[in-house]
Amino acid sequence: MERPHSAYFRYSGPGQLVAKPAASTPRTGLDRTIQRWKAWLLGRPLASEEEIGERLPKKLALPIFSSDAISSSAYATDEILRVLVLAGAAALVISVEVAIAIAVLLTVVSLSYRQVCRAYPSGGGAYVVARENLSQIAGLVAAAALFIDYVMTVAVSTASAVSQAYSVWPQLYDIRIEIALVSIVLITLANLRGLREAGNIFAMPTYLFVGMALLMIGLGLGQIVAGTVPTVPDPQFVIKPPSVVEPLALILLLRAFAGGAVALTGVEAIANGVPAFKPPESKNAGNTMTMMAILLGVLFIGVTFVGNKFGIQPTTEAGPTAIAQVSSSVFGAGSPLFVLFQISTALILFLAVNTSFNAFPRLAAILAEDGFMPRQFSLRGDRLAFSWGIIVLAAVAALLLVAFQGDVHLLIPLYSVGVFVCFTLSQVGMVRHWISSKESGWQWRMAINGLGAILTFVVLIVVAAIKFAAGAYLVVLLIPALVVLMLFIQHQYQASAKALAVRPDFIVLPPTREERAIITVPTINRAVVRAVNVARSISEDVIAVYISDNPDASRELRERWERQIPGVQLVIVESPYRALAGPLMAYLDVLDRAWPPDKPQPVTFVVVPEYVALHWWERILYNQSSRRLRAVLLGRPHTVVVDVPYRRDDPDRFHYDTEPHAEQEAPAAATAEPPADLG
Amino acid sequence: MAESTAPQFKRAVVALSGGRTDRPIVALAAEVAKASKAELIGVHVVEIDWTQPLDADVAGRSESAQRVLDIAEATAEAARYRLESVLLQARDVGAALVDEAVERGADMMIVGLPFRRRFGGDFAIGATIPYILKNAPCAVWVVREAMPEEQA
Repeated sequence: MERPHSAYFRYSGPGQLVAKPAASTPRTGLDRTIQRWKAWLLGRPLASEEEIGERLPKKLALPIFSSDAISSSAYATDEILRVLVLAGAAALVISVEVAIAIAVLLTVVSLSYRQVCRAYPSGGGAYVVARENLSQIAGLVAAAALFIDYVMTVAVSTASAVSQAYSVWPQLYDIRIEIALVSIVLITLANLRGLREAGNIFAMPTYLFVGMALLMIGLGLGQIVAGTVPTVPDPQFVIKPPSVVEPLALILLLRAFAGGAVALTGVEAIANGVPAFKPPESKNAGNTMTMMAILLGVLFIGVTFVGNKFGIQPTTEAGPTAIAQVSSSVFGAGSPLFVLFQISTALILFLAVNTSFNAFPRLAAILAEDGFMPRQFSLRGDRLAFSWGIIVLAAVAALLLVAFQGDVHLLIPLYSVGVFVCFTLSQVGMVRHWISSKESGWQWRMAINGLGAILTFVVLIVVAAIKFAAGAYLVVLLIPALVVLMLFIQHQYQASAKALAVRPDFIVLPPTREERAIITVPTINRAVVRAVNVARSISEDVIAVYISDNPDASRELRERWERQIPGVQLVIVESPYRALAGPLMAYLDVLDRAWPPDKPQPVTFVVVPEYVALHWWERILYNQSSRRLRAVLLGRPHTVVVDVPYRRDDPDRFHYDTEPHAEQEAPAAATAEPPADLG
Repeated sequence: MAESTAPQFKRAVVALSGGRTDRPIVALAAEVAKASKAELIGVHVVEIDWTQPLDADVAGRSESAQRVLDIAEATAEAARYRLESVLLQARDVGAALVDEAVERGADMMIVGLPFRRRFGGDFAIGATIPYILKNAPCAVWVVREAMPEEQA
C-alpha cells in the first residue's frame, strides 16, 4: 500500500503528525539557492531533539564559566595604572594596594554568589533573582544591565584580544578595527552554527592562560627575590606623568579602584549556569566559584605586583598592555614563551566573548517568553541557536567597536556600571530570599549577601559618579530606556492577547452571519474564471465588479461576460477619475448599507484573481493592483480577502478552471489575454 | 550493545504487529544490523476479513497502520539506522510476511513475541509465529518480551 505522507510526515500519535526535514524543503529556485548557501555557511538544520543537554564536571566547568572573569585580569591592571600615573610615576606603587582592595571586594562578591548557587540550582541570573525577590521592575533593571554587560563583554574582550596581538606585532594596530570585526563575524557564524560552550576545546585556552600566567608570576617573583629584576625600557606610547601632577588624594584612589573593579566582570557567570554542572549542582558550582575567585585574585594581584616591582608603565591604546610588558620582561621580548602567552591571552579573551554569545541570546529568549522582548528572540533557528539574539548582540558590539575605535580604555567606563547594577540587585534580592525562606543558616547567609549588597552598591555609586562624564552616563540613561522599552513591549503583547482572548467557558457555535463573495474583475481570463469558481464555492451570493474608465471596454466586457459566465452578476463601476481602490471600497460600503438592518452584516469575501509569477523578476510586472487592493481592504470590518492564484504552468488547468463549454475556447483565451493584473 | 552471539544477516524482514514488542525488536535489529550494514525491512500487515475485497483501500487510509510503521522508522532513526517500511494488506498476516521475505530475498525474519499479562500470564504465541516458523525461507529470530518479574 502507498504511504503518501511518509516522505514528509510521521504519525507520532492519533491525529498527530511530526514534520520531517523534507516538509521544510524550499519550493522555489531562489529559496533552494538560499537554503544551500545557508547550509554551507551554518550547517544542516538540526531537529529539536538533537539538542545536547550535557552536564559539565568541575574541571571543565571552571575554564568554561570562568573565562570571562579570569580574562578580566588581562586589562584590569592597565586601568589602575592609567589613573595612578596622573599623580606621578611614584604613585604607581599604590597599584598593589588598589588591586588588593579589589580582591577583597572580589572575595565578598564571590562568597555572595556562592549563596546564589545554593538558592537557585536552576540558574540564578540577576534577572531571575531580582524578579522573584524584589519586583518585576527590579528584574527588568537587572536584565537591562545584563544586556549592556554582555554587549560590553563582547566589545571590550574583542578589543583587548586584538590589543594583545598588536602588543606582539605593533604593525597590526592600524587594522585593529578590521581584525576585531572579522573576529566578531567568525564568532557569530560559529554560534549561529550552534557552537556549544561545552567541550575540551573550550577548556584549553583558559588552562593555557592560567598556567602561563602563573608561570610568569612565579618566574617574576623569583627574579624579584633573587634581586635580578631586569631593567624594563620605556615601552612605546608610554603615558608620561603630567608636568603638573595631581595629589594622590582619595578621589584619585577611588578612580583607580573604579577602573580596576572591571576585574570583577563575569564573576556571576557560574551562578547563571548552575544547571550545567554535574550533581550535586549547587555544591559543585559553589566550589567552582571559590576556585575561580582564588585564581582571579592570584592572577590580578600577581600581575599587578610583579608589574609594580618591574616598573611597568601604562601606555596609550597603541602601546603594549601591562600584562604584555610583564610577560615580555619575564619571558624575554619576542621569545616563543612570550608569543605563546600573548596568544593564550587573546584566546581566553575570545572565549569570554563566546560566553556572552551564549548568555545574551538565552536571556533575551527568557525575556521574550515573559513577553518583554519581541517573540522572535525566543525562536530557535535551524541549528537550535537563538539566531536573533546572536545577530543583535554581534551588530551592537560591532557598532560600539567602530564608534570607540576599538579602544579598551574608552569602552571600560560603559562596562563597570552595568555589572555592579547586576551585582547589587542580585545581592539585595538574595537578602529578601533568605528573609522569606528562613532556610537553615539563613541569618549568616543573609549577612554575607547583605555585606555584598552594601559593598557592591557603594562601588556602583563610586563607579557611576567617577566615570559618569567618561561614558557611564550613557549606561545610566540606557538602563531606564531599555526598561521602558521592555515594559512597552509587554503592554503591547498584553493588549493584543486581551483583544484575541476567548473565554474558557465560551462554546464556539456554527456561524450565524451570511456570506457573500465579490470578485474583482480586470477582464475575462483564466485567472478570473478560477476566481469565479472559488467565489461560487464560498457563497451563492456572488457579484463580479469591474471598475473601468472606458465605457466602450465596459460594454464589450458585459457582452462577453453574459455570454461566457452566465449566472454570475456583473456590476460595472465607471471611474471617471481612474481610481480603483476608492470606488471598490465605496461599492462595498453601499452593499453593506443596502443589507437588511434586522440581519447581522454578512461576511464579505473579496476574491482577487492573481497571476503567479514564475520568476522573482516577474513579480514587479504583475499584481500591483491586487497588492493595492489587499492593503486597503485589510482591516475592513467583516471582510476577508481571498487571493486566488493562477500559475502559468498549472498542469490541470484545462480540467479545473473551466466548465466543458468554456474549455473549447480556452486556447484562444490563453493567447488573447494578458496575465491577470487588475490594473 | 549487541552480543557477539547475535545472529548475523544481510537483509531482514522485521514483522511489526503494532504492539509493545515493535520498539524493542526494531532497536535490537538496528543494533545487530549495524555491524554488517544489513538491510532492514519493517513490514506491517493489515488483515482484511472476508467481508471486504482484498483490494479495498483499508491500510492506506488507516492512521493507526501508518503510525505503526512511522514509530518503527523513528525507533530505527533513534538508533541511527535506516529501516525501510512496507505496508501490506492481506487475508493472512503470517502468509503475507513469508511472501514478503521470499520476494525480498531476506535471510532473516525477526518477530516479537508478547507476554500476555492477563489470565495468569503467558506468551501469546498465536497462529502467526508458528506459521512463520514452519514456512519461512530463512532463519527466524523470535524475540520474546520481558516478563513482568524481569522488568521489575
